[in-house]
Amino acid sequence: MDRIGKQHHMRVALLVGAFLLFFGTAAQGAIVGEVGSNFKLVAKQDVIVTSDGGSTLMWGLAVTNSATGETGRPQYPGPTLIVTQGVPVTITLRNELPDQAGNVSLVFPGQQVTANGGVEGLMTREVLQTHLKPTGAFIEVKYSFTPTEPGTYLYRSGTRQDLQVEMGLFGALIVRPATTPAGGDPAKKYAYNHVDSEYDREFLYLMSGTDPIIHRQVEQRQWNLIDFTTYFPTNWFINGRNYPDILAENFVPWLPTQPYNCQPRMHPGEKVLIRFIGAGRQIHPMHFHGNDFETIAVDGRLLSSAPGAGPDLAWQATTIKSIPGQTADLVWGWTGKELGWDIYGHSPEDPLEPHEYAPNHGKPFPVVLPPRDAVTYGPFYSGSPFLGGEGELPPGHGGLNAAGGYFYMWHSHTEKQLTSNDIWPGGMISFMIVEHPDVPID
Amino acid sequence: MMKRRTRYGSMIVLLTLFVWLCPLAVSANVLVQCPGDTNGDGISEDPNIVCRSITGGDGYTTMADGLSLYIFSFGDADGVPADRVIADLTLKAQLPAPTIVLKQGQELYLTMTNVGMAVRPDLFDPHTVHWHGFPNAAPIFDGLPEPSPSANMGNSFTYYYNAVVPGTYFYHCHVEAAEHMQMGMIGNLWVTPKQDGTSIGGFTKFAYNDEDGSSGYDVDFPVLLTGFDSFFHIASDTVQALPFAAMFDEYPMINGRGYPDTINPNDILNQDGFGAQKIPSLITATAGQRILLRVSNISTTHQYTFATTLGVPMKVVGRGAALLRGPDGKDTSMVVNVLNVGGGQDYDVILDTSGVAPGTYFLYTTDLANLSNGDQERGGIMTEIVINPL
Repeated sequence: MDRIGKQHHMRVALLVGAFLLFFGTAAQGAIVGEVGSNFKLVAKQDVIVTSDGGSTLMWGLAVTNSATGETGRPQYPGPTLIVTQGVPVTITLRNELPDQAGNVSLVFPGQQVTANGGVEGLMTREVLQTHLKPTGAFIEVKYSFTPTEPGTYLYRSGTRQDLQVEMGLFGALIVRPATTPAGGDPAKKYAYNHVDSEYDREFLYLMSGTDPIIHRQVEQRQWNLIDFTTYFPTNWFINGRNYPDILAENFVPWLPTQPYNCQPRMHPGEKVLIRFIGAGRQIHPMHFHGNDFETIAVDGRLLSSAPGAGPDLAWQATTIKSIPGQTADLVWGWTGKELGWDIYGHSPEDPLEPHEYAPNHGKPFPVVLPPRDAVTYGPFYSGSPFLGGEGELPPGHGGLNAAGGYFYMWHSHTEKQLTSNDIWPGGMISFMIVEHPDVPID
Repeated sequence: MMKRRTRYGSMIVLLTLFVWLCPLAVSANVLVQCPGDTNGDGISEDPNIVCRSITGGDGYTTMADGLSLYIFSFGDADGVPADRVIADLTLKAQLPAPTIVLKQGQELYLTMTNVGMAVRPDLFDPHTVHWHGFPNAAPIFDGLPEPSPSANMGNSFTYYYNAVVPGTYFYHCHVEAAEHMQMGMIGNLWVTPKQDGTSIGGFTKFAYNDEDGSSGYDVDFPVLLTGFDSFFHIASDTVQALPFAAMFDEYPMINGRGYPDTINPNDILNQDGFGAQKIPSLITATAGQRILLRVSNISTTHQYTFATTLGVPMKVVGRGAALLRGPDGKDTSMVVNVLNVGGGQDYDVILDTSGVAPGTYFLYTTDLANLSNGDQERGGIMTEIVINPL
């Protein structure tokens, strides 16, 4: 390598702008969704695009704007509903699904729900399709509950779940604590009512899969052929997108029915909260490159040995199985400590970076890297081994990591699930980017 | 990055082999880096520095039913001079890859030389080493090809690891991971704790620095669970489009072998007569000893679940290269009869054989469909546990 760049902050700052054009999102570090307590949702049919170049017919939930009364396109997954502990929530559901899709309903595992309107169903009250021209109380169904516990939850269809959940009728429900926990700092963020659930940034990992044969049968109205005994998913999603669409911004116009990305970014030393939900029917062992995580909560409850004890039964690992229907909250951090070399490429007289592991300050890089023509540079290699570094890139390299961030793949370790309908790479791949402390994220 | 492999016949293979060999003569760049190695034998004179040399390439394995399957994996190049690595180790990939064992605090200089895939030179794939679970990793040594450089054919890359966190890990290639891991680029790796050598609770060897002997053991064995989808391997061997969507392992294995090969003490020879499968999985102990199983699953399609017939429960003391303790030190170890291991998970399991009558027992998968070598029953993920009398 001709030159191993140390950090060049001015250039970094300039290049960050270009970088953000590709990957940057407006609200880094907060989960986007519908914040409030009254939600009007409409079940509709639409299509999503997948990274193998295909498209898949889906049933999704569209949000009705409470001010204008207008309803947008449905989305996969359904809108992330962000509510507050103790504040009553009402969700109104209408059903504009076509053909023989049938009634629709929603269930909220972990909440005590009252349902009004619609018709009696197997699991809850259901709403009739609008093309059947229902009137009066049959037009819509209202689900009401008051969330008593903060945490991460799933909601999904409660009608013909085998088909309707596969078709995309599910979403995340996030309940925020009503107050700052005892001993906490009101300026900081907490997932639960305990100071040990503090975090700096949060990211949603809503996992799902599709068997395209089912969707094709729905599209072709082959209702009598739909057979879940031969269910065999071949495409996998985080927050409704495949890799590499996962990296694009939230709400990009070319993914109109897949508004949510999955692009965690952070600075060294920060605490990241990962809200993890299994919405499909397979188990996905999710592996986090870069460092261990701690599982602090499962199914919306802190892993506590006693009330008020905090997450004292939290467990540390590198891989966690995402279980169908289960949620988990993980806390992840990274500082690059004890690596045995200085990740910033400092000279000993340079000042310390925030959260830098001081004993390694100024320690030289331990090996000779091969010459450029001996190796293949990945698209997210900056050309330098150092955090915030840069180096000469070969012709044709996209330069997608101009800020010299450290990229860590967070992915399913059932590696088959890193494909989209037979095409590698795709499926359940995401990247955490640890950025140099000087690189702005928010 | 998408790959479309069509059938052009052997002509194109030979042509690309020629194209491949030509630049090799000029661009081969094998540099085995080993600080403190003063006499050039590849071993550092500094006891704190461990140097290992492996290759990334291809080869063949023999399944327990006799089927020959093409693999990609790592070969053992320890002590091989840099200028001989490619010549001596082409088609010498091992399943699993050479085992790496370190002591806590040691520094590992791991040189991986990409010797190319002699059977598939048309692929010109780079290879990498990903130390799965390495804490606070930096991308340059994380082996992810996307944010780092990865060694092309005929070239080497030296990875550096400061092994400060003990535990059971494993390693694998991360290039086109669904393909290269299905093809077999997986290996055992663990770091023994500083506490080893001290006597706590009657033990001198421990899985972790537990300070109370709760992870102490007398004998330890790796139980690396994986599987092969024979259709995928045959497609790769015969230059066909790879069936990613249809991928489904039907040769489940422990340490690269299905039963009864798991209890064969010898190397399993491949079609070229090379012993590519070098790790027997017969578990032996003396009655009353504690056995540590270092369990991991690197299947690209399956979770695996296992139990033993010892009649004593399994005590799970570690998970994900960490002692099972809460943040404030609470004991969160688990006593189970059956353990499910997802892809990418690893566990440390202790079998206390106190009170177990001497004899032969089994470790076997309880998802019984995986007790098979392809169509052959009574194979797959099973091995024997021999308890010898005192």
